[in-house]
Amino acid sequence: MLVDYLKRGVLAGALAGIAYGLYVTLVANPLVGYMEALAEGGGAESSHEHAHAGEHAHTAGEHAHAAGEHAHAVGETTTAVVSIGSGVFWGILLGAAFALAFYFLEPALPGRGSIKGYVLAGAGFLAVSGAPWLVLPPATPGAEQAYTPTIRIAVYGGLVLAGAIIAATAIYGYRRGSTRSRPLGLCLAALPIVALAAVTTLAAPTIVESGTIPGELVTAFRGLTALSQAALWALVAGCFGWLQTRTRDRASTEQRVALTSLHS
Amino acid sequence: MTATETVHDRIETARDDHTTAQLALVFALVATVAFTLLFVQEPLVHDSLHNFRHAVGVTCH
Repeated sequence: MLVDYLKRGVLAGALAGIAYGLYVTLVANPLVGYMEALAEGGGAESSHEHAHAGEHAHTAGEHAHAAGEHAHAVGETTTAVVSIGSGVFWGILLGAAFALAFYFLEPALPGRGSIKGYVLAGAGFLAVSGAPWLVLPPATPGAEQAYTPTIRIAVYGGLVLAGAIIAATAIYGYRRGSTRSRPLGLCLAALPIVALAAVTTLAAPTIVESGTIPGELVTAFRGLTALSQAALWALVAGCFGWLQTRTRDRASTEQRVALTSLHS
Repeated sequence: MTATETVHDRIETARDDHTTAQLALVFALVATVAFTLLFVQEPLVHDSLHNFRHAVGVTCH
């Protein structure tokens, strides 16, 4: 049964990943390229300085930004193609992880039918993206961030864990509260999420300087990133639910056919 | 699939249907893909994933 779930998850992830790959092709690639040019055009000297001064100095090749001008280790076409491919892989990875979690947690999730899948997808989004973004918002090209990448990866990992715990608490709260009334359940579910958001506002902003990119563009970029990730999770859950009902329908049809042939 | 199935039952079913090695393999594969995609810092890989990491919001520069 676990293998069935995994198969369905990988397939759902691949479908969602193709959609996400299209998003990377049509939106993210040109947008990041444009913002990169904007950031480098306006602040070539200052970015040259900061790249050498701080976090990027630890390995010479790690970030070609250290060289100041547009000098990535690989060409733009490679970056574009690999980014599209990894968009598809990202979908497959989320689909597989989703299916594994869904197999084990399905009995504990609230709601019925495909709602369970969407609840888990929401929890996944909160853990993988939502919670970390509260402290480390999606960085725009050319933005200057506090801390070294190593520390940031550790913080990101910690926040993924915190997000997962918060999501679990929210679901537990809903299950306890909704035995009395649904609004109470929803309030209890919202409580830990609001608490997390409130606590993280106390943390110092990690984006020190967003460079020469206008604030509106930064906001739009973050909104786009958040919405596209949320859409990816929703698509994974949607495709998974669709594949599951399809298999179930097919199984029951086969059963019926077998029964009728038995009777005749 | 019964309505009263619990998370514990699911774990038991997985244990019965598969060997520990099989389960470990599945989890290891998922973990490897995640690690490679997000944290590999090797310059070529890292740079070619640049746009993707920006789009997903896990970038580190």
